[in-house]
Amino acid sequence: MKNRDITLHINGEECRLNVAVNRTLLEVLRDQLGMTETKYGCGTGECGACTVLLEDGKAINSCLTLAATMDGKRITTAAGLSDFGRVNHIQQAFIDEAAIQCGYCTPGMVLKTASLLATNRDPSDEEIRHALEGNICRCTGYEKIVKAVRKAARTMPAPAACGAETCTEVAQ
Amino acid sequence: MSSRILPDFELLLPQSVPEAVELLAAHRDRITVMAGGTDVMVAMKFAQSPAQLPDYLMSLEHVPGLAYVLFDPDKGLRIGAKATIAELLAQAEVKQHYRALWNAARTFATVQVRNTATVLGNLLRASPAGDCSCAIYAIGGTVALQGPAGRREVDIDDFWLSYGVTARRPDELAVELILPPPAAGSRCAFKRMTRTNEDLAKLNVAVRLEMAGNTCVDARLAMGCVAPTPLRLTKTETLLKGRELTAEVLQSVAASVPWEIDPIDDKRSTAEYRRQVSGVLLKRAIQEACGAA
Ligand SMILES: Cc1cc2nc3c(=O)[nH]c(=O)nc-3n(C[C@H](O)[C@H](O)[C@H](O)COP(=O)(O)OP(=O)(O)OC[C@H]3O[C@@H](n4cnc5c(N)ncnc54)[C@H](O)[C@@H]3O)c2cc1C
Ligand code: FES
Ligand code: FES
Repeated sequence: MKNRDITLHINGEECRLNVAVNRTLLEVLRDQLGMTETKYGCGTGECGACTVLLEDGKAINSCLTLAATMDGKRITTAAGLSDFGRVNHIQQAFIDEAAIQCGYCTPGMVLKTASLLATNRDPSDEEIRHALEGNICRCTGYEKIVKAVRKAARTMPAPAACGAETCTEVAQ
Repeated sequence: MSSRILPDFELLLPQSVPEAVELLAAHRDRITVMAGGTDVMVAMKFAQSPAQLPDYLMSLEHVPGLAYVLFDPDKGLRIGAKATIAELLAQAEVKQHYRALWNAARTFATVQVRNTATVLGNLLRASPAGDCSCAIYAIGGTVALQGPAGRREVDIDDFWLSYGVTARRPDELAVELILPPPAAGSRCAFKRMTRTNEDLAKLNVAVRLEMAGNTCVDARLAMGCVAPTPLRLTKTETLLKGRELTAEVLQSVAASVPWEIDPIDDKRSTAEYRRQVSGVLLKRAIQEACGAA
């Protein structure tokens, strides 16, 4: 097959698409859906600008993923972290710590922070640096990014006692 | 002339191992298998001529039942063809009993790549720099291949034939890797040198030692980035067998390594540098294996 009908669930929205099989998930997000918050850096898995979260929060490089193989998958981009247009605590921490200069690496950085904090609510600096190894920043020198991740960990809302769908925080 | 743009191909998405094997038999040298795709996608984006490109790309995405990492104290460790580096790291028994492999997996690439790349893909790529390949070579094991005529197992010692070439036939799918059960006196370690952690190794080494007290009864030593495929240091192994691991023995072992390897100059290092540090890196791996107990 050269084209394939697929359904992606992007940031909670269902997208039915016909994709050329040689299109990467990154190209489909940016060029076919106009979701340009996911960035193209190297195209070869080294910089992390194209990071998205798959299913339950696994970070992957969308530049090395064929969209046609992702049928039925849930995908979160940086825009999907915000709650109804309001930045979430991770994005706010990056703003507060001025961990952004040109901003090109930021979507990948905040998503990697989300995937780290989902499994480790109180990471050490070393764990933060190990987790961010797949994300290159040419501007900040990383110090402020590590600080922002620490702040994001401190300001993380307590885990909901109920399932996410019925949780009042989300419902409000 | 690379453009980093994916060329045209037909995508095949088999739903089972037998269907995948049928497709391999039908298309043979015109088909490329893709597991995690971290090597395949980059190779296609960097292809220098159309001759290097496959007509068919067969993704294992929809083949069920191959993403396991199963440990049995009597039978060993079985790693399915779709098990990722991240899934390997999540198994406590790997850390406990196969420390060299666990350390290779932990220092491997980045979170994103570990979430996608498979352990078997690392073996099948047959790169001399493969980190899991190096660790597995020292530990020993067999690769199970499924072809139209059935299943066969190839010893890892016979698996890599030359740069990028394995004993897998074009109509065979690699289905799993089997590592031996842990033995009482067995110790292993893995070490690598890189410019930054996410870069490929400029040199890597793994050791497996069977120890009785401080005496080495048997040894398997593997080194990467020093030959067209991962390399067993069989001559150096003989200097260890039956010896007590004294400072002098370790010194003679380290001195033997540069004579046994055949590194090249490339963008990650020079042949001369690799020779200079190879013995020290091996010595440190032996010390770590014995210290780690
Ligand atoms: C940014 C980046 C960093 C990396 N860092 C490292 C590193 O630190 N250490 C390291 O060792 N490697 C590294 N790699 C290389 C790569 O990630 C590994 O070799 C990985 O293990 C390959 O697994 P995969 O599932 O992605 O393989 P794929 O790309 O899917 O396949 C690799 C090869 O194996 C074949 N193959 C795969 N599965 C099968 C099967 N079941 N049957 C038959 N053939 C099969 C494919 O045809 C191909 O030739 C890196 C790659 C990238 C892009
Ligand atoms: S664009 Fe995907 S890792 Fe750089
Ligand atoms: S802020 Fe510019 S690359 Fe990170």
